[in-house]
Amino acid sequence: MKGDVTHNTLLRRIAGMGGAVRFALVWLGLLATVAAWAPLLANSLPLWVERADGRWAFPLFAQFTAEDVAWWVGWWSAVVLLRWRRISAARRLVIGLGVVALTWGIASALLKPSPLVVYDAWRQAERAGEVRHALWAPIPYSPKDYLRDYGVTALEPPLAAIPERWHWLGTDDQGGDVASRMIHASRIALSIGFIATGVALVIGVTIGAAMGYFAGWIDLIGMRLVEIFEAVPTLFLLLTFVAFFERSLPLMMVIIGLTAWPGYARYTRAEFLRLRGIEFVQGAIASGLPMRSVLFRHMLPNAVAPLAVAAAFGVASAILAEATLSFLGLGLVDEPSWGQMLNQAVKSAAFNWWLALFPGGAILMTVLAYNLLGEALRDALDPRLERNGR
Amino acid sequence: MTLDPLLTVEGLTITLANGTEPLVSDLTFSIAAGETLALVGESGSGKSLTAQALLGLLPTGVFAPALGQATLSGIGGNLLVPDVAARVRGAHVAMIFQEPMSALNPVMTVGAQIAEVLEFHAPHLSPLGRQAAVAAALTEVQLDAERIAASYPHQLSGGQRQRAMIAMALVAQPKLLIADEPTTALDVTVQAEILQLLRTLQRRHAMAMLFITHDLDVVAQVADRVAVMQAGRIVEMGTVAEVTQAPKHPYTRRLWAAQPRHLPPRPKGCRQTGMSTSASPNEADTACAAVPSDASILDARNLRVYFPIQRGVLRRTVGYVKALDGVDLTIRRGEVVAVVGESGSGKSTLGRAVLGLQPLTAGTLSLFGTPMQNRPRHAWQPVRRRVQVVFQDPFASLNPKRRIGALITEPMAVHRIGVDDADRWQRAQAWVTALGLPAETLQRYPHEFSGGQRQRIAIAKALALEPELLVCDEITSALDVTLQAEILQRLAHLVVERGLSLLFITHNMAVVEYLADRVVVLYRGKVVESGETATVLNRPEHPYTQQLLTAAGFNR
Repeated sequence: MKGDVTHNTLLRRIAGMGGAVRFALVWLGLLATVAAWAPLLANSLPLWVERADGRWAFPLFAQFTAEDVAWWVGWWSAVVLLRWRRISAARRLVIGLGVVALTWGIASALLKPSPLVVYDAWRQAERAGEVRHALWAPIPYSPKDYLRDYGVTALEPPLAAIPERWHWLGTDDQGGDVASRMIHASRIALSIGFIATGVALVIGVTIGAAMGYFAGWIDLIGMRLVEIFEAVPTLFLLLTFVAFFERSLPLMMVIIGLTAWPGYARYTRAEFLRLRGIEFVQGAIASGLPMRSVLFRHMLPNAVAPLAVAAAFGVASAILAEATLSFLGLGLVDEPSWGQMLNQAVKSAAFNWWLALFPGGAILMTVLAYNLLGEALRDALDPRLERNGR
Repeated sequence: MTLDPLLTVEGLTITLANGTEPLVSDLTFSIAAGETLALVGESGSGKSLTAQALLGLLPTGVFAPALGQATLSGIGGNLLVPDVAARVRGAHVAMIFQEPMSALNPVMTVGAQIAEVLEFHAPHLSPLGRQAAVAAALTEVQLDAERIAASYPHQLSGGQRQRAMIAMALVAQPKLLIADEPTTALDVTVQAEILQLLRTLQRRHAMAMLFITHDLDVVAQVADRVAVMQAGRIVEMGTVAEVTQAPKHPYTRRLWAAQPRHLPPRPKGCRQTGMSTSASPNEADTACAAVPSDASILDARNLRVYFPIQRGVLRRTVGYVKALDGVDLTIRRGEVVAVVGESGSGKSTLGRAVLGLQPLTAGTLSLFGTPMQNRPRHAWQPVRRRVQVVFQDPFASLNPKRRIGALITEPMAVHRIGVDDADRWQRAQAWVTALGLPAETLQRYPHEFSGGQRQRIAIAKALALEPELLVCDEITSALDVTLQAEILQRLAHLVVERGLSLLFITHNMAVVEYLADRVVVLYRGKVVESGETATVLNRPEHPYTQQLLTAAGFNR
């Protein structure tokens, strides 16, 4: 339709901004794809086997978790929704999140993967000749498969010539395949960035909108709250919490979110204070529109530009916070994470360069990509460019 | 008046860097020393571009280099060449801009800014000499030199800022002064003083002046000759008397006819007792009760709106800004009441108070017989539909992120007008077409429309709720005169056809004369005069009203 300002035109405008931004979009798209397809890309269990007696089995799919299904469905819905231009970006975002939540709920009710996985079971079976045919993942090692059946496998450099095995990016100090761990760790990097920023945005926008719209006492109290939370050092709070409570990803997300909201609240407040006096908002109030419509239909869409920019930078800093924590050895215990791999690089007597280069490079590229995206968003959402943009 | 032209412009053509259609094409004119040429035209006619080109201020990259020849007698070279313009700017050619606040540097005192001009253009002067020249320049524009020189721009009023701008432009004693809408942002009474001042100074220094304006009243007050521009061309040029009294070009005639005082008298004497029952705006309601109703739909007594001035850490209230200080106002059904006053007189606050957007400090406000003063938000809800508003700035009054259709139908749904979405859409379409906009308007976003179109959309949006009272806050002051005429005529018809009442806030006395049944003159939050339009305009009693009328060119 004519004059349609949608997410797609925005995306196209960002993509048209030059090589650096295009690199950022490609990298983030690749990262999301790898994260969504991780279990199929790197797994010790074969996708399909035909036993010696002719029976078929799908060991990989039998071990699919609700999380795996949600990531996969989320990836597909993102692909579909990005091409579906008939409805607004905000609505598509809500639909996408709804679909993911729904599949997660259904999948966790239906799927019962065995808690105990014997990673080398099918390798052993193939070696023993119990399997006639097997279809393996491109990287036939799970992230937590420490290759016990091969004996000592720790700290082998990339592409080391070892019979029977092939590790593109070497192995870590436990003997796990680094490539596989990198692939699975991309999920943590992506999810911590998005969920922590999402939590911060929800809190920040709500409080900021209330401060900007009502002003007066609410503004006064809200601003003091903002100042208090701005004074809390995120990293030390995270360290304290993981020291006292369990090391869990949701806890980290919530804490990063709880300390990152004041920035968003400030932006929202400033925008709402500005918008409150503008004629179309005054007109909306004078037409008797309900408050929720005034706030969310007429004010918020006109306040998203600075928020979108800040959120892109926020995602990058959340990823860095998790990497820092994991590097300090206070991250998740057994789950792969880029920061934790960096920690392994310096832990043993020798400097294991492949454990520093690959995860470090991935962190660098991702943070850089989000920063580039943030800068591009700032330009793309500039109202003057928006007006001449089509 | 000498006949030797001081400024000669031949074949000035301005084109966008990536465009082929010229925005200003083949402009030829000349100005003699001591003469004022007014360049008149509506927005987009290219008059400001012409001024920028003469000063070498066209943004490079956006515009292609200007073509043609512009020479200043006694100075070699073509002014349209940026290097020549840079040499001449300030010393021989000076400019005054529309918005004095943004044309002055807010972090420098006025005196320092004027002295800076001298540093470049009169380097032989000693610091003390400069100071004396600054003082002389400020005195010449009738300002208290000592105080104003030490002030920052924000400490001055709009009129004082514009005077300071003039002092700054004239301090280097230029031969040519270019004034781009120098009085548009000022109150009418201030505007008259500034025009008088410009006229005097120009005579005294025998300067040539290129005066750019859209206001035809101003032309008659300031100019010797007029050039009328339309779409980048001069369509008519001549002395003020020739052009105003016997315009030749159809566009000039249309421009003159669009002035409120030249409009055919508005249909009157047809106040209705009740609202029209027909939902469609297209069905002209001929059943027009001739008896004027005395039922007041708005009755305000002793309205007071005070804004506290708070100081210190404890935010102690040390005083009040009295935006409205005991205002009485009554509007009857089908009546047009104009509220007149300068900026800061409280007229917009009055509009906001009537709409329930501004809590009252004291007083009573009753709408349709119900007392509304300081009632909670939900109590206003039934009244909201019946009182609607149209604001001054058409660029700020429509939410840029939503389609016109959604903007018009959303309040309709809230007030349960129309049976379903399709019906509401139909009604919205009827309203936009009734206001002369294409039907596909509803599918579009606000930024696809011009200022005049947006203002009509804003009116359609307000009328779609079938209000009984429409608050119009300076709705035509941002519009060109032909658009203003069109909107005034449409409103006049709506008043007759639908028994609509208007609270018409304005500073334009000509508009008041055309549209209003009664006038209320506000001055510093108080009503200083009110009554029937003809009475107030013909026999103004309060000195402020008299001043207002004189400034607007009513010489009765």
